Amino acid sequence: MRTIVEARQVKKLFGSKGSVSTALQEIDLTVLEGEFVGIMGPSGSGKSTLLHLIAAIDEPTAGSIHIDGSNLHTMNEEQISKFRRDKLGFLFQDYNLLDTLTVKENILLPLALAKVPVAELELRVEEITDKFGIKPLLAKYPYQLSGGQKQRTAASRAIIARPSLILADEPTGALDSKSATDLLESLKELNEQDQATLLMVTHDAFAASYCSRVLFIKDGTIFTELVKGQTPRKAFFRKILDVLSVLGGGAGDVI
Amino acid sequence: MTLFSTAVKNMKGNFRNYLIYFVSMMFSVVIYHTFVSLQYSTDVQASIALSKNVEVTFKTASFVLILFVFIFIWYSNSFFTRKRKKEVALYSLLGVRKRSIGKMLFYENLIISTIVLAAGILIGTLLSKMFGMLLLKLLGTTAEIGFHVSGSAILNTTLVFAVIILITSIQGYRLIYRFKLIDLFQADKQAESVPKASPLLALLAAILLATGYVFISLSFDSESDLMRNYGVAFVGITLGTYLLFRCLTVFLLRLAQKNKARYYRGLNVVGTSQLLFRMRGNVGTLTIIALLSAFTLLATDIAFSQYYTNTKHAEQTSPFSYMHLSQGQAFDEQVNRIIAADSKHAVTAAIDIPVIKSSGRTSSSVVFPERYSEEEDKPVKIISTTTYGVIAKALHLERAVNPAAGEAVAVKTMYTDYSLSDYKKEKLTLELPTRSWELSFSDLLEDRILSWSFPDFVIVICDDLYGDLKDLSSEVLYKAYKVEGESSTAETATELMLLDGAEKAGLTSYYHEYKTGLEDTGIGTFVAVFLGLVFLAATGSILYFKQLTEAHSDKERYTILRKIGVTRKEIRASILKQSLFIFGLPLLLGITHSIVVVNAMSKLFSNLVDVNFTVPVLFSTALYVMIYLFYYILTVTSFNKIVND
Ligand SMILES: Nc1ncnc2c1ncn2[C@@H]1O[C@H](COP(=O)(O)OP(=O)(O)O)[C@@H](O)[C@H]1O
Ligand SMILES: [Mg+2]
Repeated sequence: MRTIVEARQVKKLFGSKGSVSTALQEIDLTVLEGEFVGIMGPSGSGKSTLLHLIAAIDEPTAGSIHIDGSNLHTMNEEQISKFRRDKLGFLFQDYNLLDTLTVKENILLPLALAKVPVAELELRVEEITDKFGIKPLLAKYPYQLSGGQKQRTAASRAIIARPSLILADEPTGALDSKSATDLLESLKELNEQDQATLLMVTHDAFAASYCSRVLFIKDGTIFTELVKGQTPRKAFFRKILDVLSVLGGGAGDVI
Repeated sequence: MTLFSTAVKNMKGNFRNYLIYFVSMMFSVVIYHTFVSLQYSTDVQASIALSKNVEVTFKTASFVLILFVFIFIWYSNSFFTRKRKKEVALYSLLGVRKRSIGKMLFYENLIISTIVLAAGILIGTLLSKMFGMLLLKLLGTTAEIGFHVSGSAILNTTLVFAVIILITSIQGYRLIYRFKLIDLFQADKQAESVPKASPLLALLAAILLATGYVFISLSFDSESDLMRNYGVAFVGITLGTYLLFRCLTVFLLRLAQKNKARYYRGLNVVGTSQLLFRMRGNVGTLTIIALLSAFTLLATDIAFSQYYTNTKHAEQTSPFSYMHLSQGQAFDEQVNRIIAADSKHAVTAAIDIPVIKSSGRTSSSVVFPERYSEEEDKPVKIISTTTYGVIAKALHLERAVNPAAGEAVAVKTMYTDYSLSDYKKEKLTLELPTRSWELSFSDLLEDRILSWSFPDFVIVICDDLYGDLKDLSSEVLYKAYKVEGESSTAETATELMLLDGAEKAGLTSYYHEYKTGLEDTGIGTFVAVFLGLVFLAATGSILYFKQLTEAHSDKERYTILRKIGVTRKEIRASILKQSLFIFGLPLLLGITHSIVVVNAMSKLFSNLVDVNFTVPVLFSTALYVMIYLFYYILTVTSFNKIVND
């Protein structure tokens, strides 16, 4: 199996001189191709920061990150853009939708950037919006949407170009349980059928139970790890809840 | 911290942002000061030989400039004040009283403007010598201009701008005073709504523009007709331009969205949508810029074209170097002596031109308007073929004429553009006291052979017929001279003009025609070009601001794009395209308007008929586009820096 994400001794500090806060202490992380990895931890523990570092949206203070064998630090901006565009799908916690574009335009943006022919582009938009039940919203603008609708739009945009690496930051946070299940099923499908590698930050033990492996972060370091293996999902779900109760800090509040 | 020092601190912080505004405002001070200085300059006055329009032209130009600068400063001011609503709201929340905030803004504006005014006057004074020399060069004078500091010019500039600054400073104060705290915080949040494309309004825009263009091209018989035509054209073009920006742009952008293959490709989807969102807020600015560009180009085109054609115009008005009606031997010889004494301008031809003056009319009064006959002087000037031969030799004209017995060769009337076929449609009746002759036109001479005087209707007929006419009517004799270097005969020409009886003899000189024209059109060109530059600088800086404000609010969007894998290069390309739309449209419209209007005016106004427009229009349009390009590059560079670094 190929190693897709490899983070070594990654450290991230925020702020300058006077008030430095540590977001990530020292993280080592290896994700193999086709894995579906969950990341859990209390709020403020550095989960989003970790995803941002992997997407090269931010740079680590120390340590190195390799994606598919290449060191992010030595890549130039063109190469990084190419990586984001061709391989990465990022589902942002705050959606990052463009307010001047309609739902449809937001979703098709990655395809437009990849210069996919219109016919195929329309088809893919149709497919994905059907799946997420946002087809009636296609002509609307983001400010006309609810949180859940925005999240589904953002999810559609993140996966429409069938990226090989998907980073999802609390993808179900604003969704009702039905929509959440739909989204998780879609992610699982991408993982199983397209061999997409997934990293998903979540608060939700139910969502985490879809993963093949769950990491628990606390105070900027990896606290422990649970591997699903042959465990049935229900049992895995319970295991996760157990760890969360040990972890404390309200990580399992949502449930 | 006192209010005053807060104001100073704010200004320092904002200086970079407002640099372009300062520069444009300073530029207008410099130009105004230059106009005023030249008006007061004794050197300039002394070097202007003949034109009587200098002062009037400069005064009018200064007035237009002031009016424009006032509007520009007013607009920029309210623009900046609105931009700073948030800052003001913050002060309000911190408990600073509105009165104090208003005072602070008042001081800020006052300090900035005073600095700009002082710098403008300083630069204007330093450059006034250069500008003066430039003007004299245009006027074809080689005189030197000294360096002068004109107290009255400085006083004039200071007073005028002090009033403007005071008024606009008060405006800044009042603006803040009228804001409500809640409005202040919502300043940026107001959701920009996507404008709808109304085909009806787009059609109306097209109709209005077409109406404007048609009315500007309508011929007119009276001044009130002219005023009506131009009034309709002005309203049509202004409203049409506004509606065009309001609807047609939206319509075009919507159309661009319909072409999915293009629209859904790369960043087109983002760029087009941004433009669409922004259109509403930009309509007013774009309209004003398009109209101002049109006006500026028009003024420059006309002034410059007349300047450019001045030599040709002088040659037509006064084909000979000197010409007068014979007044008897004493006067004629006196003239001859003076001309011969000018050794620097050797006489190449001195000829006598006998002319019969006759009453007349034509069958349909087109080439020979009825009002010619209302003049005291007999309107038709008749020359024999032999005399024409003499003239042609003196003036080196190639064309030979050979009218038959019942024919007349017409010399094209100045300020008209009738062709031979127009002449051929009519019959000319010469009415002598005892008999009349009917002649048909057989040919048309483009080159002029007599000095212009009203009515201007000259024909050449065969010698036999001339002889017959001469028996029935009296003849007058013109004396004509051609000399070398006729455009520099200042002393001789002036001496002749001052002779007793020169006026009665209808004495004309090429030099006077040439020089008066050169000075009038030279000053016109000078003023039009500099006014144009001020307009351009100001409108360019307004566009610059608008774009930069948008850049600040777009920043977030471009960050998102970067996060999903758009390269800096693609963002840059998209910015280039969007700004091109914003800069290109008003420019394109301005150029179109100006060309249509110049074209129409050149056909309608007799004094523009013979003016060569092609080269000057190309030249001034190219210059305009180049300066505009400079602002475009400046804008996209700054825009790119804001969103893409
Ligand atoms: N851009 C930033 N500047 C300063 N501090 C930040 C920034 N982003 C995150 N942080 C801090 O880093 C820590 C981790 O944040 P984050 O990764 O968002 O946590 P999580 O996603 O796990 O809730 C928090 O203490 C947060 O305040
Ligand atoms: Mg987070």
